[in-house]
Amino acid sequence: MTNGNAKGMPGRRDGVFEREPARRVFAQELRESRVHFREGQDEKSPTFVLLPTGARCNRVFFAGTLTEKKKQGEQNMFYRARVVDPTGTFFVMAGSYQPEAMQQIARLEPPCFVAVVGKPNVYQTPDGAVLISIRCESITQVDKDIRDEWVLDCARATLDRIEKSAGTPDGDRARREYTIDPGLFRKMVYEALAQLKI
Amino acid sequence: MDFSHTAERISQKITSHGHSVEKSGIEAKLKRLVEEFGVPPAEAERTVLNEFAREYDIPGFQGSGGGGAGDQKALSLLANGEWVTVECKVVALTAAPSPSIAQTGIVADESAAVRFVVWSRANAPVLEEGKWYRLESAVVDQYKGMLNLKVHSGTTIREVSHEGTLKPTITPIKDLAPGVACIRGKVVQEWEATHDRILQSGMFADETGAIRFVIWKEEGRERLNTGGIYTIYYATVDDFNGRLSLTLNTATTVPEEGDIEVNTGNSLFEGAFVHLSPGSGLVRRCPVEGCNRVLSRQNYCPVHEIQPNYHYDLRIKGWLDNGEETREVLIQRGETEGLVGMSLDQAKELAENNPLGMDEVFLRFREALLGRYLSCRGREIDNRLLVSSCELLHYTPDQLADLLNRAGGSL
Repeated sequence: MTNGNAKGMPGRRDGVFEREPARRVFAQELRESRVHFREGQDEKSPTFVLLPTGARCNRVFFAGTLTEKKKQGEQNMFYRARVVDPTGTFFVMAGSYQPEAMQQIARLEPPCFVAVVGKPNVYQTPDGAVLISIRCESITQVDKDIRDEWVLDCARATLDRIEKSAGTPDGDRARREYTIDPGLFRKMVYEALAQLKI
Repeated sequence: MDFSHTAERISQKITSHGHSVEKSGIEAKLKRLVEEFGVPPAEAERTVLNEFAREYDIPGFQGSGGGGAGDQKALSLLANGEWVTVECKVVALTAAPSPSIAQTGIVADESAAVRFVVWSRANAPVLEEGKWYRLESAVVDQYKGMLNLKVHSGTTIREVSHEGTLKPTITPIKDLAPGVACIRGKVVQEWEATHDRILQSGMFADETGAIRFVIWKEEGRERLNTGGIYTIYYATVDDFNGRLSLTLNTATTVPEEGDIEVNTGNSLFEGAFVHLSPGSGLVRRCPVEGCNRVLSRQNYCPVHEIQPNYHYDLRIKGWLDNGEETREVLIQRGETEGLVGMSLDQAKELAENNPLGMDEVFLRFREALLGRYLSCRGREIDNRLLVSSCELLHYTPDQLADLLNRAGGSL
């Protein structure tokens, strides 16, 4: 008479909707990601990007500086935007399937601090380069306080992954698929934190 | 798999009635059922035996296969698929939901309680509430995580005398699992019935947690008093879409004196606000006493239809996310006003003077909340946090040194 508990999370039961968590990941780490996979056979099953520090990631949350936005396309209009964190750049997209995010981007005036929730996608360009872009679910203007809070949050989450992912299925898979030692991302975390004021 | 023992057993039973059967034929039948059709061995034995019983017109042992009656067991030790013998007391009888069922209810012993079903075809004696019986060769099965004791034609039932009284054990609400349980607690909320057949539904809580309950309309069933303390003996705990709920129709409810400290919920969840759900912001609520449902744009209540005399309210529905887990949060007006810095009156004024109306309030809420870090406390039910207090979290550099040390430790 035990409750089915596929994911092994305490206190959760089958059938209760579980929203995919938004991972905290620095731009530099996300940029190194290559592996994009689908869990399950269904067309609507969630897709994940495997982070080099060893966690699957269906959704990301980050805060940074919106430096550039560009409207593209005629009939299928969409926005491209660049959001910068202490380690690099996130490429953000919002198209007609994300009308709310598009309206939000339309109102923003770069440069400004923004918080973004979105889903990462991996693309391969014709010349073989791999690009990661974020399909935006929401982008809101925030203040520097939130940006700094996110850097702490993301640093903590990244260190947790580096220290705890070994031995987990995703952690081991990341070590097989990527040649990068997760430990190298410590330096990135250190440098990101060093930019904050004590 | 070797069927020779089972075949031997069947063969002996048939032989004892003066007929002879080919053992290899029995084995072949068993093998076909088990290996080709995936029938459990006990059920295959029963099927084959019944087939011969019909063929030779032998009355009496239909269904008594299954490798014998099994040992006598305490109810707490039952497992799905077993054939068992138990001694237990009928503690509740409920109306049979279908003509193929003669009786349903709950039996209990010192260890546990379990639902039982007596099939009409079993031709079993009528069980009486409050009496002890010995059930030989009953079958245990499982439906939606709940064990059931099935009394079929092969089950022998004998009334037995039993010394001493049965003391049911009270289960804390947080430890409930599908099945039958006794609990003690308080009716903390009563909800509007969502169906004609519901007599009462609401929330029942004890020191450890809360669970929804329902009483279906039935003769002699009475409502519980909101705020009242009750001991509930032998309620059925169902699992519906992953949520547990109590059905009290099988239960005996005994009002108790005094009061208990119920768990008002003090779960804490901190994370970023990543999604504002539709239905947040300024809403109109149904004015019918005890309803309070949010009306649709056309002032339509799902239960009370068009309600022009609605009242306004503010609320937040959305998702908090800490990077590992997510919680749906529901925040009521008091805390909402503080979080977004907008009072109900300001929100009404904004909606009245703006071409987007109530949508404008939603948009302002979204801009004020998304991406912010919140700390919320409240009662947690499933993945949902009913927030009683919350605050915005701000950047505090005191963790910075620790994190720098962690990151720089091995550089």
